[in-house]
Amino acid sequence: MYFLGIDIGSSSSKCVIIDENKNIVGRAVKNIGTGTNGPSVVIGEALAKAGITEEQIDFTVATGYGRANHTQADKQITEISCHGKGVAHLVPGARTIIDIGGQDAKVIKLSETGNVDNFVMNEKCAAGTGRFLEVMARILNCELSELSELAKKSTEEVEISNTCTVFAESEVISQLAQGTKREDVAMGANHSITSRVAGLARRIGITPIVVMTGGVAINDSVVHSMEEQIGYDITVAPDPQACGALGAALFALESFNKKNN
Amino acid sequence: MEQEKISSKQMLNDLMADHYQSALDAKANGELVCWATSIAPQELLTTMGVKVVYPENQAAAIGARKEAQKFIDDSEGKGYSVDLCSYARVNFGYAALKDSEAQNVPMPDFIYTCSNICHTVLKWYENLAKELNIPMIVFDLPFNHTYDVQDHAAKYMKGQIEEAIKRLEKITKKKFDQDKFKAVMEQSNATSQMWKDATLVAKAKPSPLNGFDLFNYMAAIVTNRGTKAGYELFKRWKEELEAKAAAGQGPWKPGEEEKFRVMWDGIACWPYLGPTYKGLKNNGINMVTSTYPDSWTILYDNGDIEGMAKAYSGIYCNSNLQNGIDRITNIVNDFSLDGIVFHSNRSCKLLDFRQFEQQRQIEEKCGVATVLFDGDQTDPRAFSTEQYNTRIQAFLETLENKKEERRKG
Amino acid sequence: MADIKSMIAEFEEIALNPAKSAAKLKKESGKKLIGMFPYHLPEEIVYAAGMLPVGMWGGQTDFKLSNKYLQSFCCSLIKANVEFGMNGAYKGILDGVIMAAYCDTLKCICEDWKVAVVEPTGMPLIAMYYPQNRKIAAAVPYMQAEFEKAQAQLEAISGKKVTEADLEAAWTVYEAYRAECRKFVKLVAKMPATLNATKRHLILKAGWFMDKKAYTEKLAALNAAIEAAPAEAFKGKKVLVEGIIVEPIALLDAFVENDVCIVADDVAQQSRMFRIEGRKAGTVYEKMAYRIVDAYADPLLLDEKKEHGEELIKMAKEAGADGVVVCAMKFCDPEEYDYPIFKKQLEAAGIPVLYMEIEQQMASVEQYKTRIQAFAETLA
Repeated sequence: MYFLGIDIGSSSSKCVIIDENKNIVGRAVKNIGTGTNGPSVVIGEALAKAGITEEQIDFTVATGYGRANHTQADKQITEISCHGKGVAHLVPGARTIIDIGGQDAKVIKLSETGNVDNFVMNEKCAAGTGRFLEVMARILNCELSELSELAKKSTEEVEISNTCTVFAESEVISQLAQGTKREDVAMGANHSITSRVAGLARRIGITPIVVMTGGVAINDSVVHSMEEQIGYDITVAPDPQACGALGAALFALESFNKKNN
Repeated sequence: MEQEKISSKQMLNDLMADHYQSALDAKANGELVCWATSIAPQELLTTMGVKVVYPENQAAAIGARKEAQKFIDDSEGKGYSVDLCSYARVNFGYAALKDSEAQNVPMPDFIYTCSNICHTVLKWYENLAKELNIPMIVFDLPFNHTYDVQDHAAKYMKGQIEEAIKRLEKITKKKFDQDKFKAVMEQSNATSQMWKDATLVAKAKPSPLNGFDLFNYMAAIVTNRGTKAGYELFKRWKEELEAKAAAGQGPWKPGEEEKFRVMWDGIACWPYLGPTYKGLKNNGINMVTSTYPDSWTILYDNGDIEGMAKAYSGIYCNSNLQNGIDRITNIVNDFSLDGIVFHSNRSCKLLDFRQFEQQRQIEEKCGVATVLFDGDQTDPRAFSTEQYNTRIQAFLETLENKKEERRKG
Repeated sequence: MADIKSMIAEFEEIALNPAKSAAKLKKESGKKLIGMFPYHLPEEIVYAAGMLPVGMWGGQTDFKLSNKYLQSFCCSLIKANVEFGMNGAYKGILDGVIMAAYCDTLKCICEDWKVAVVEPTGMPLIAMYYPQNRKIAAAVPYMQAEFEKAQAQLEAISGKKVTEADLEAAWTVYEAYRAECRKFVKLVAKMPATLNATKRHLILKAGWFMDKKAYTEKLAALNAAIEAAPAEAFKGKKVLVEGIIVEPIALLDAFVENDVCIVADDVAQQSRMFRIEGRKAGTVYEKMAYRIVDAYADPLLLDEKKEHGEELIKMAKEAGADGVVVCAMKFCDPEEYDYPIFKKQLEAAGIPVLYMEIEQQMASVEQYKTRIQAFAETLA
C-alpha cells in the first residue's frame, strides 16, 4: 500500500510517497510552486522513483499554500501540522521546529508526544522569510545557494539593522558602495533573518530539541547563526525541504487506517 | 563660592549621577521608589519626598548608548509588537532583565503616570502595575480639541490631583504637607522659568546653543524641575550661554559658521545622535531649539490647583492642531529660523499623525524650508543614515534657495 | 428555519452595503444621520435629538487621499474613515460626525478631520474626550459636561431642543437594543452552522445602519425564532474572538470553511459596545456616564487592575470555547499593549490562543486561512 503527501508551496513543490511501514519509496522536489505544473511534475517523478502508478496510491494528503487547489487529494491538512508530523517522525523528541519558507517563517511547538501544541507565523513583512535572502542574493549578484559559502568567508561582522526589506536593501547597497565586502554582507543578511525569526521563536518559547526545516535550512551558515541567536543546538531535519510532504504522507497513512478500521 | 567654578556641563553630570545614585541608595535603604512619566505633576511626589526615576530618561540613555536592542528583543519575545513605543519596549525589557550598562535604576514600589504626553503611557503603566503588582496613580488630562483647556476638564483634573494626594498618603503612610507643597510649587515655577530663560538665549544670532545640547540638559528638567539644584543648573547654563552670545560666539568651534537655523520637531533619535547631529552640522545647519523647552515650562499661580492642572494639560503634545501650529510659528519667528526638521518617529503616533498637516501649514504660513525624515526614538532598526543624509542634503538645497530668494528680495 | 434564513438575509443585505443602507435609512426615516466613529459615544443624545446614529467602521478602500495626513503605520480602520471622509463617500448621507479620542491615533484624526473634511465640506464635527480615570468621583460631572456640550452641538444640527423626556425615551431604546444583542450572542452556540462566523458578524453589524428601535424589534424576532428552533448538531470547534473588528468578510469566511464557530466575542464593534447594562437610578446623563464607569476589561478604558486576561478566561469558559482567536488590529496601540499580558494568562489557564495581526483591507487572506485551519487542527 502506498500513501502520498504533496506539499505545494509558493515557490516550490515537494512530493513524498511512503509504504504502509512508513518507508519512503519515492520523493521529488521542484522549485516551482502553486499555479504551475510543479505539483504534477513532482508527483510523476516520485511515482516513477517508487516504480508505481497513480492508481496504486491508497490515500493522498495535500498541504502547503496551494493545498486547496489540489483537488485530487483525499484530504488537505495545513503545512503546520504536516511539518510537525514529519519532524516528530524524523527526529524523535523534537520540541521546537523553525521553518523558513519563501513567504512564511513559522515556529512550531511540539508536545512531548509529537503533536502540535502551538505555532507562530511571521506577519505580512518579508524581513524574516526566505524572500529576504533572495533579495540579498540578488544585490550580491549570486545564486541563493551560493549565499552560504559566501557568508562563511566573512571576516568582519556587518550589521544590517533595518527591519524593513526595502530599507535593508538600500542599507546594503550603500554599504557595498562604501567598500564593505560581499562576504560580510552575506553574513549580515544571515544574522538579520535569524534575529527576526528568533524573535518569533521567543514568542512561543524554545524547548530543545530544536529542528530546522524548509529550504533555508540547507544554508548551514544561517543554521549556525540561528544557533547563536537562540542559544541552542539545532538539528537540521534530514531532507529539510521535504519534511512537510513527508508529514502529509504520514497523515495519509493515518487517515487511511482510521477510515478502514 | 566654589560652585561658580564648575561648568554647567559638570553640574549636569553631577546632578544626574546623584539623581540615579540617590534613588538606588533609597531603594537599598528600604525607602519607596516611584517611576513616573516625564511631564507628570512631580510637585506631589517632591512634596512627599519620594524618590522618583523616569523610565523615559533611562530609555533615552539606553538608546544613546546603543544598548536598546537587547531590551527590545526581550519585550518582543513576550509578544509586544514592534509597532509600539520603543521607550515602553525598552522599559518592559529593563523591568525583566534589570541590568543595563547605560544606567541602572531601582525597581518601583508604585508608579505615577500622566496622559498629557500621550495615551500610550496609560497602557504602558497599566502593564507595569500588573506585571510588578504595584499601585498606580493616574492623571488623565483630556486631549484639548479646543484651542484652550476647558474649565470642566480642569475640574476633572483637580479631582484627580486631590485623589492622588489621598493615594499618596496611603502609599507613603505620611501626611501631605500643604506648606511644603506651596514651597515646592514655588520652586517648580522658578526652575521651569529658568529652564525656559536659558533656552531662550538661543535666539541670539549666531545661537550660542547647539540644540543637541538641549537634549542633554533636558534630562535634568525632567528629573529636577522641582528642585533648587535644577534651578542653579539652568541658571549657570543660562549665564554661560549669555556670555557666549555677548562674545558673539556660535554653537560650534570658532570658524564653524552657523549658516542656517532650524528647529527640531519630535523626540531625538537617540541611537543615532551622532549621525543626526553631524548630518546637520556638516552642512552648517544649527538646531537652535525644539518644541521641548516649552513642554517643561509649566507655570501657574502658586496654590491655584486648577491653574496647575491647566498648565500640565496645555502642553504642546496635548494641544490641538491649530494651537500647535501657532506655537511653532512663534518659535520660527522668535528664533529667526530658516527651517524645521520633522522627525517622523515610528514610536510616537501622537506626534506623527498631525505632522504632515503641521508641516504644510507652517511652510505656508512662515515660508520656511522643512524636511521630514523617518526614524525612531530608541529602536535602532527604524532609521537609515543614508536616507537621512540624502534628505538633509535636499533640505540644504531648499534652505539655500530660500536664502537666495530672500537676498534677491 | 426558512423563516430564520430570511430574517438573516435581511440583516446581511443591510450590513454588506453600509453606504446604500445608510442612504436608504435617511430617505425612509426623513431624519438626519450622524456618523459615529468607533467606540463609546453618546448615541442616545443623537437619538433624542431626532436624528439617527450610524456606525463608521471603515470599509474596503485603497488609501490614496488619506496619505496626505497619515503615515503608513496608522490603524487601517480609522484611516479608511479618513479616506471616505475625503473622497466624498459620506457626502449627502451624514449630517455630522462624532468622535472621541480613545487613543493617540484618534486624538490626531480628530484634528486632521477638521482640516481634511470639515473645512472643505462644512460637515460638523463633534470632538469629545471620555475620561480614562473614570472610577474617581470627578469623572462623572466631567462626562456630564461633555454630554451637555455635545447636546448643544447636536441641537444645532437637528434644530430640535432635547428634553429629559427625549433622553429617557432614547435611553430606553438603547437599553433594549443592548439587552437584545446580549441575548443574541449567547444564542449563537445553539445554531453554530446557521449562525456561522460571517452571519453572526453581519447580523450584529446591521444594527449600525438601522434605526435602533426597528433593529431591536427585528433582532428580538430572530432571537425568538432561534429559541423556538431545535439545537443544531456541530462537529467543529468553538472559539472566542478578541479584537477591535473582525473583518474583512473573507477572514470570517475562513472560520466558516474550517468549521470554527464564534461562540463569544470580546470585540470592540460587538460585545464591548453592549455588554454593560445601564444603572437604573439617576438622570440619563448620569446613567450614560456610569456605563463608562462600570465598563470592565476594556482595552480602551483605563483598567488599573488589568482584568482583560481574567475576563477572557471567564468568557471562554462560560461560552465553552475551545480556544481564543486574537484578531489584533495592526497598529492599534491599546490592543497591542494588552496582548502580551493576556496571552500569558490564557496560556497559564491552558486555553489555546491564535494570534493574527489583521488589517481591514487585506487583499489576501490565504495565510490566515492556513492559520485558522492549523489552529483548528491543534484543537482536535
